[in-house]
Amino acid sequence: MIKLEKVSKTYRTDKVETLALKDIDLQVGNGEFVAMMGPSGCGKSTLLNIIGLLDRPGQGRVHIDGVPMAAYRDKDVAKLRNRTFGFIFQSFHLIPDLRVIDNVELPLLYRSMGNGERRRLAREALERVGLGARMEHYPNQLSGGQQQRVAIARAIVGRPQVLLADEPTGNLDSKMSAEVMDILLKLNSEGTTIVMVTHDEQEARRVGRIVRVFDGQLVHPSANREPVHAA
Amino acid sequence: MLRNYLLTAWKVFMRRKLFTAINLVCIVLTLVVLMVVTALLETAFWPSGVEGKSERFLQVYSMRSESADHRTVRTELLGFKTIDKYLKPMQGVERVSAFTTPASVSVYQGDRVSELQMRRVDADYWRILDFRLLAGRLPDADDDSVSRFVAVINATTARKLFGDAAAVGQKISISGQMFEVIGVVEDVIHMNAYADVWAPLYTFPSGTWRDELTGSFAAMLLAKQPSDLPRIQREVERVAKTFVTEDPHEYATTTFWADSKLDLVARELLGNKERADSGGTTLLAWIIIAMLLFMLLPALNLVNLNTGRILERSSEIGVRKAFGATSRQLAGQLVVENVLLCLAGGLIGLACTRVVLWWLETAQLIPYLKVGLNPSVFACGMLLAFVFGLLSGLIPAWKMSRLDPVHALKGAA
Repeated sequence: MIKLEKVSKTYRTDKVETLALKDIDLQVGNGEFVAMMGPSGCGKSTLLNIIGLLDRPGQGRVHIDGVPMAAYRDKDVAKLRNRTFGFIFQSFHLIPDLRVIDNVELPLLYRSMGNGERRRLAREALERVGLGARMEHYPNQLSGGQQQRVAIARAIVGRPQVLLADEPTGNLDSKMSAEVMDILLKLNSEGTTIVMVTHDEQEARRVGRIVRVFDGQLVHPSANREPVHAA
Repeated sequence: MLRNYLLTAWKVFMRRKLFTAINLVCIVLTLVVLMVVTALLETAFWPSGVEGKSERFLQVYSMRSESADHRTVRTELLGFKTIDKYLKPMQGVERVSAFTTPASVSVYQGDRVSELQMRRVDADYWRILDFRLLAGRLPDADDDSVSRFVAVINATTARKLFGDAAAVGQKISISGQMFEVIGVVEDVIHMNAYADVWAPLYTFPSGTWRDELTGSFAAMLLAKQPSDLPRIQREVERVAKTFVTEDPHEYATTTFWADSKLDLVARELLGNKERADSGGTTLLAWIIIAMLLFMLLPALNLVNLNTGRILERSSEIGVRKAFGATSRQLAGQLVVENVLLCLAGGLIGLACTRVVLWWLETAQLIPYLKVGLNPSVFACGMLLAFVFGLLSGLIPAWKMSRLDPVHALKGAA
């Protein structure tokens, strides 16, 4: 369970102070699929980064499974990110110098795990996203949709409790977007908690809950009456 | 994990070949200079070749006499009598050799005159130093008993004087004295061995050398084992206090020290002639500091280049952080990459060092120089490469590993 209490975040430069988030209270339960929506620059990604411990709040508290994160050191946060979260980015962020299989293995590198076990899990993750035949390819040899599926495989290879997806379909055409959404919905139906930032109202309607952000504040968290699940 | 690091490092290096090449050239040039210096220092100070026993011998090269009012100071080479009277009777020393420092002599052979460096040495000299005999023999007790005028020459002198003909048995005239060449030894450069011609002590034109307290001599003291050296040094210091000069009224005190090769050079360079501590440790520290400083400038340059290289990879750093890499793990990865590059540079540097040393040997800029890249120089070279890699990789790696993952992912390092 993820719980945010009165979370605020301000970005400061020499001359300008920008309030990115203000007094956010949010809970995401285990197994939920939450879509975060709002106009560009409203603070969705900042909120997602704070949930994923990539960023720290200026004020307020973040609890993961009831444990407050404020006192966590770099090493502890890194371990928690590695074990609890999987990240999917709009621009994939695959490492171009590594093969697909090596990219997918990446989160497992930071666990005490043998080579063989790592390779097996990475292969399984790739097969789950339908890319079992592309393991030896390099990212630039794949289409955008395939790259995003590699990124999903990388995010799920460590079997995290929570997937955080920042506009995962933002760079994809509608067909590929649908494929990616299907995979995410399937993962959610298997118990993975997902928080996804999206601009696409239709995509948001396919998930269990929509959270709307406007000018750094939550507008009205609400539950869809008829969540749409993967086919 | 290491495989992943290596794979990434290889790809990164290959992606920017020019950049990698510039880095390598920078590393190789620095390491070649340092390794050549290391090889020369190793030849000078490490037990090797003709001075293979140097880990268990000491040298006394000079004595310092001082007046009671400290106004008059005299530093001279030893005389034979000093060695004979004060050093040879010392207990617990396996051998004591008296030998002269190299002196320039004219060698007449037919109508040709050659300027050569000559030492006069006693019989123990040949037993302490390990000359490699190429032809003939070394002087023995039989030569001493009849005061035979014999000489040993080195290979270059043999070629210079006699060409392809056999040198052994030939006669040479040195400053008006006739010598029979009885042996040819390999060319040597070492401190106590360097010369073109060696002759026994009794071949001095005049007999006054036996009674001189100061003169043109030095002494080598061979210990039974290296652990005896400190005791011998203390004993020499004690013996020096009993020394009486020809003119005790003028010079009230005399000191001389038994030094290792490093101590001898340090004492000369640092001028520590009046105290037991030669400054060898200080000299060694200065050499290491100088080498580190020499590395510093190219290392700073590499720091700059590396920061640029790592900046390009901020997105990768962000991804790795997002998926659980700690700052320390990331710094480790980036340092490993840089150390690998430096070790590759070290290997190329070793090959280039071999070429430079070969050139130094063949060009004879330093006479009789023979310097090899043995395992200790190789190990030293790789250690230098490692230190260089650490120096130039640590700062940018640490700086970049501290990047906030959100900014790193945006590529805004």
